[in-house]
Amino acid sequence: MPLIKNNEFVDNAFRHIADEEALPDGAIVVSLKRWHAERDALMARNAPIALRLSSDQSPEAIGADVHHFAMIELEFPKFKDGRGYSWARLLRQRLNFKGEIRASGDVLRDQWLFMSRCGIDAFEVDPGTRIEDFRTALTEQTVFYQPASDRVATVLELRHKTHSSSQRASVAAE
Amino acid sequence: MYRYDEFDQKIVDERVEQFRGQVARRLTGELNEDQFKPLRLMNGLYLQLHAYMLRVAIPYGTLSSRQLRMLAHIARKYDKDYAHFTTRQNLQYNWPKLADIPDILADLATVEMHAIQTSGNCIRNVTSDHFAGASADEVDDPRVWSEIIRQWSTFHPEFSFLPRKFKIAVTAAPKDRAAIKVHDIGIVIRRDASGTLAFDVYVGGGQGRTPFVAHLIGEGIQAGDLLAYLEATMRVYNQYGRRDNLYKARIKILVHQIGPEEMRKQVAAEFVEVKAQGALALPQAEIDRIQAYFAAPAFETLRDDALLAQQKAQNKAFAAWHDINVSPHKMPGYAIVTISLKPIGGVPGDASADQMDLVADLAETLSFDEIRVSHEQNLVLAHVKQSDLLVLWQKLDAAGLATANYGLITDIIACPGLDYCDLANARSINVAQAVSKRFADLDRQRNIGELKLKISGCINACGHHHVGHIGVLGVDKKGVEFYQITLGGSGDETASIGDIIGPAFAENEVADAVESLVDLYLNLRQPGERFLDTYRRTGIQPFREKLYAAH
Amino acid sequence: MPQVLTANRLLDGEVVYLASDGAWVEELASAAVIATKAEGEAALVTGIEAERNQKIVHAYLFEVIDTGVPLRPVKQREVIRAAGPTVRSDLGKQARS
Repeated sequence: MPLIKNNEFVDNAFRHIADEEALPDGAIVVSLKRWHAERDALMARNAPIALRLSSDQSPEAIGADVHHFAMIELEFPKFKDGRGYSWARLLRQRLNFKGEIRASGDVLRDQWLFMSRCGIDAFEVDPGTRIEDFRTALTEQTVFYQPASDRVATVLELRHKTHSSSQRASVAAE
Repeated sequence: MYRYDEFDQKIVDERVEQFRGQVARRLTGELNEDQFKPLRLMNGLYLQLHAYMLRVAIPYGTLSSRQLRMLAHIARKYDKDYAHFTTRQNLQYNWPKLADIPDILADLATVEMHAIQTSGNCIRNVTSDHFAGASADEVDDPRVWSEIIRQWSTFHPEFSFLPRKFKIAVTAAPKDRAAIKVHDIGIVIRRDASGTLAFDVYVGGGQGRTPFVAHLIGEGIQAGDLLAYLEATMRVYNQYGRRDNLYKARIKILVHQIGPEEMRKQVAAEFVEVKAQGALALPQAEIDRIQAYFAAPAFETLRDDALLAQQKAQNKAFAAWHDINVSPHKMPGYAIVTISLKPIGGVPGDASADQMDLVADLAETLSFDEIRVSHEQNLVLAHVKQSDLLVLWQKLDAAGLATANYGLITDIIACPGLDYCDLANARSINVAQAVSKRFADLDRQRNIGELKLKISGCINACGHHHVGHIGVLGVDKKGVEFYQITLGGSGDETASIGDIIGPAFAENEVADAVESLVDLYLNLRQPGERFLDTYRRTGIQPFREKLYAAH
Repeated sequence: MPQVLTANRLLDGEVVYLASDGAWVEELASAAVIATKAEGEAALVTGIEAERNQKIVHAYLFEVIDTGVPLRPVKQREVIRAAGPTVRSDLGKQARS
C-alpha cells in the first residue's frame, strides 16, 4: 500500500511480520500479541520496531512500553469503526507518544482530516490515490471548534485571542 | 438568539463547498453509492421511498423569522411547497433533487443553518426545552449550554464514527419538556445550594428496539467542566460501545451491560484525565459571550392583560384556544403560544411554505423575531404580549394554524412512517388521522384532558411511542400493517417506558381500541387524574381486560 | 411469483422500473414483468450496470400480482412507492395521472 506522510508519498520502512514468521533484520511491525510474548527478544534487536494494534486493542495496555516503538499502526477494519480515533488521542495525549501513528485499512478520503486532528500522521492509502486529493482533503476544513492533538488554534482561542504556545501548556506537552 | 461569528460561518461555508465537491464526484462516478452514502448521510441526505430526503438541523429548536422564511423559500424553490418538522427539532424536505442539494445547503448557510450531523453515527442535533427563556420554572436558559455543546460536537474529530448515533438533550427546568431521560445523554441544569449552576448528566436513555430510561451518571458537574465531562463520556462510549451488533450499539446497551455504577467509575476516571489536559475547560469569557446572545428580549413592563377576559367571553373559539394553547410566561403581560401543527385529520408536523412564511411574519411582529420548534412537532411563539393574542389567533385561524389541542389526544406525534420512510414497516400518519378524526370534538378532548398519543411506523421509534401515555407501533405481519399498543409511557421528568398491552390491531381497529381505552379511563379516573395517573394507579390489567374482552 | 426490477434514479431519487426495452420508466404499468429466475438474474445484472453508469441507485426485485392490468405489488411498501404517499394524493406519481 502507498504511504503518505507530511503531504508526500514516502517509502514504507517497516515490514509487516506475521506472528509465526521468523524475525528478519531491519525495521518491522509486530502485533501486540507477539510483543507481549517476545518483548525481551524484540527489544534486544538492533533495528526500529513498530507495533500494530487492531481496533479493539487499547494502547493503554502497553503503558510505558510505548516509547520503545518507532511507529504504531492503528488498524481500521471498516471505515465505520472509529475506535482508532480515540486510540490516537490517548497515544498522543495520555501516553505522550512522539513517534509515527499510522492508519491502515478501510479509510475514506473524508476521514483523513479527522484522523490527522487526532494525531495520526501517516496514512496507508489505496493504490491510485492522488497526492493532490490528499492535500485537498486535509485543507477542505480550516476552522475547528475542538482542541485536539494537532495543536491547531481552536475557534475558542481565536475568538478570545488566547492561543499561544505558552498559554497552551497542556497541549504543547503532548 | 445565537448569531454566527466569522468562525462559525466559515465552518458551515467550507462544509457546503466540501459537499458540493462530493456531489460532483458522485455524479461523475468518481464515487460510487457505497462510498457516497456515508458522506451524504453526514450531511443529512437520505434516499427514502419516493425520493431523496434532506434533514436540516434546527439547533435546540430555535429559529429566527429570517431562517424560517428561508426554510419556506427552499420548500418552494427546490421541493413541493411544504416540509415536515420532526421530533428531533429538525426539518425534513421530502423531494429534493441530488444535484440541488449543494445549492440548498448554500442557501441555508446564508441564514446560519446547515444539515451537518443530522444523520450518521455522530453527535446529532442538540435538542432542548421549547419554552426556554420564557418559562418561569427554568434556572437558566438551556440554549446557552446547548449552543456550547453544539459547537463542541460539530465535526468532532474523535467522535464522528461512533458505534451508533448519539443524541443529547438539555433542560434547565424541573418540568422536563425535552424528554431528556430518553436520550443518550440528557442534561438537567439546576442551581446548587449556593446558587451556582450544576449539571446533572443522565446517560443511557433511549427508545428504539430496546428502550431504557437514562441513569444519573454525572451529578453536579460544574459549568466550566461540562465539555470535559461530555468528552469523557463520549470517549468511554467510543472505546467500549458495542460494534458487533447494530441493535446493541447505542450507549444505553453499554450502560445496561456494565451497569450504571461501573459506567460512573469509568467516566469519572476519564474525566480526571480530560480535565488534567485542561484544553476543554470552558473560559468564562466564552460562557459570557454566548449568554449575551440569549439575553432576555426587551420586554415591556406590563400587567396581565385586563381585556383578555372580555375577549374570551366574546369569542368561544378564541377562549378555547387560549385555554389550551397558551401557556404562562415568566413576565407579566406576556404569554407563550403553541401553534399546533396537528389540524384534525392532518399530517402531524407538516407545514406549507405559506404557513411558514405567515408564522415568520407573526414572530417578527409579535414575538421578538423568534420561533421555536418543539419535539412534539409544534411551533411556539415564546414571547407574545397578552394584548396581541386575539389578533394573533385571528391570523393563525385564517391560515388553518389555530387548532386548539396542545397536550390533548389529537396533539399526536407521528413519524412519517411507510408513506415516506424507507425503514418503516407500517404507515403512521393514517393512524394519526383516524384517531384525530375520532376525537375531533373539542369538548370531548378537553374532558379527557392531557393525553400524549405517539405513533411510530417501526421499532426505531422516531414517533416516540415508548413514551406515549398511549403508544402505537406499526408492525408488518406478512405484508399487512398491524399496530401494537403500549400504555403508561412518559417522556417527562417522571419518564417511563410504556407496557405492551397485548396482541396488535389491524389498521381499521386502532381508533376503536384507543377509544375503548379512553372510555375506561374516564370511568376509572379519580378527580384530577390524567390518563397517565389513572394508569399508574390501576396498572395495566383493567385496560387489558377492557380492550380484549370483546375479542 | 412474477417480479419487477425497481430502483431510484440517481439524479432526483425518482422511483423507476426496468422496462422490457431496457429503459428505466417512471410508471409501474410500463415495467417489464419478470417471470423466471433467469430473467430476474439478467435484470439484476442490468441494474448493477445502470448503477455503475450513475443512472440509478439500489436496484432490487419485488413481487407483483400479475393478474393483468393494473400491475399490483404484493407489498404495501411497493404500492406506496408506485403511487406516492397515501395521505397526500396530490404528491408523487399518483398526482400525475
